[in-house]
Amino acid sequence: MDELIKLHAATYKELLKNYMNTQDERALYGVEKVSKAFIKENILPEEIVNLHIDAMEEVSTNLNKDYKHSMNFLLEAMISYGLAMQEIQMLREEKHVLESEISVAASMQETLLGTTKPSIEGLDIGVISVPAHQMNGDYHHFIKGTDGSLGIAIADVIGKGIPAALCMSMIKYAMDSYPEESMSPKSILKNLNRVVERNVDPSMFITMCYAQYIPSEQKLRYSSAGHEPGYYYCAKNDTFKEIKAKGLVLGVSPDTEYKEYELIIEKNDMIILLTDGVTECRDGERFIESQEILSIIRKYAYLPAQEMVDNVYKHFERLQDFQLRDDFTLLILRKKV
Amino acid sequence: MKPQACVNIHKEWDIVGARQLGREMAKDLGFGTVDQARIATAVSELARNIYLYAEQGQICFEIIDTIERRGLCMIAVDSGPGIADISQVMQDGFTTSGGLGAGLPGVKRLMDEFDIRSEVGEGTKIKATKWIR
Amino acid sequence: MNLTVNVVEENEKSVLNVSGEIDAYTAPKLKESLLPLTKKENNKVEVNLEKVTYMDSTGLGVFVSALKSTKENNSTLTLLNLQDRVFRIFKITGLDEVITIRAAIRGGNE
Repeated sequence: MDELIKLHAATYKELLKNYMNTQDERALYGVEKVSKAFIKENILPEEIVNLHIDAMEEVSTNLNKDYKHSMNFLLEAMISYGLAMQEIQMLREEKHVLESEISVAASMQETLLGTTKPSIEGLDIGVISVPAHQMNGDYHHFIKGTDGSLGIAIADVIGKGIPAALCMSMIKYAMDSYPEESMSPKSILKNLNRVVERNVDPSMFITMCYAQYIPSEQKLRYSSAGHEPGYYYCAKNDTFKEIKAKGLVLGVSPDTEYKEYELIIEKNDMIILLTDGVTECRDGERFIESQEILSIIRKYAYLPAQEMVDNVYKHFERLQDFQLRDDFTLLILRKKV
Repeated sequence: MKPQACVNIHKEWDIVGARQLGREMAKDLGFGTVDQARIATAVSELARNIYLYAEQGQICFEIIDTIERRGLCMIAVDSGPGIADISQVMQDGFTTSGGLGAGLPGVKRLMDEFDIRSEVGEGTKIKATKWIR
Repeated sequence: MNLTVNVVEENEKSVLNVSGEIDAYTAPKLKESLLPLTKKENNKVEVNLEKVTYMDSTGLGVFVSALKSTKENNSTLTLLNLQDRVFRIFKITGLDEVITIRAAIRGGNE
């Protein structure tokens, strides 16, 4: 490395000499390149000032005393900059280490929480879930029952990032331990509430909507634990309606009971479930109103469900300058027959 | 190795005295301009730590001159509160006095060798050495 | 956006006047002022949210932990004068049924 520095130092002197004589732009361009090479080699600012002092001694014969003192003064002023530069370099390396750890964790999370979109006769399903940062605090899960029913969970942990993701893994494992088919939405939420209440920080909670689609009865049974209301699209009347469901968020009060609701679904009807990352999208300082979300959904309603959710996501991503403020999950079911 | 010179630190201006002594000894030993400035800055950091956190202490300089190598060693001793978590203060970005890039990690960078011992309630002893290249 | 919190102590009652936006950045500030008040035995804590224009789920988290803390310390928590947008998220999350929310829900989205 010392050899390299000597080489760059020689170039610096040469360019300086050249510039002193000609004030040529080419010399300035040259020094720009040398300076980049110095940065790459982690040469500190005080060393460059020192190099400059030495170079000037060679280049000029009539340096005055004031100039010399001033350059030593400048060198002294550079020492702390040099330290700060080294510190930043070190922090940058540490950041890389953290980032790669997080990305390992994120891919583990993907595997752990992974759910496959089931194919159900007569049902078109689209789902998209995008984290604001590397790790997702939203969660959705499909459970296909042996009786032909489909269980759908969508949940949002307060906050985002690593704590939220850890919390989600807990939910996932609690749910995996339930004998799914025998349980109704309200009893699933009641059970999860107890798990969450016992195991999370007092300031944390989870909102969740659990829905069960029963094809033989053309019926959707659902319960909500304080989750953002979804929407029901009625094809016959061509209208959207908020899916009303009342229930306390998970993790606040240990003995909460949940209500169960039912909805009859007919051909071409849609069920839209989402997290507040969708409804809290902001366009600058303006909030997106639910009417706007519905009109975007309507705009893409001619597409298959998966393409619909993808396009709606792209719309809001663009609106927020491609910087999501919160995790975004949107799930659409459409009855085809 | 024997003590050559010491400066007591109990008011802010003593930091200047310590810097000056450190720089002069470095110059006499034959350190270049850049290293002189680095040594002075390291002295400054150590002296300021004593002034800010221990109120009173001492910085001593020793010239090391053996057949293999020559260098300047500084030892900062105080009987202040001590440091409970040395790993934490040696961490980059952990600054209590608000100086970016400075603090003890800064001293370690400016010098070639660095050693710290501290007991809570008893005080801190820091030894740092720079070799002539 | 900023959040300002000022506390008025009356006998056996603490009133917290909050104004601004409560989100992930400002919530810690609210928590710092609110939680110690809920830890006093038999204290009545009132939070006036009249001038709070926005609140996200992190803000709800602060009130949830304050609620839990009041239950442990025999104190009470009451929220006053919520704006529509803020009241809406208490309603969605069902928290309006476990936290005492009093006084007018004022219109206005500003």
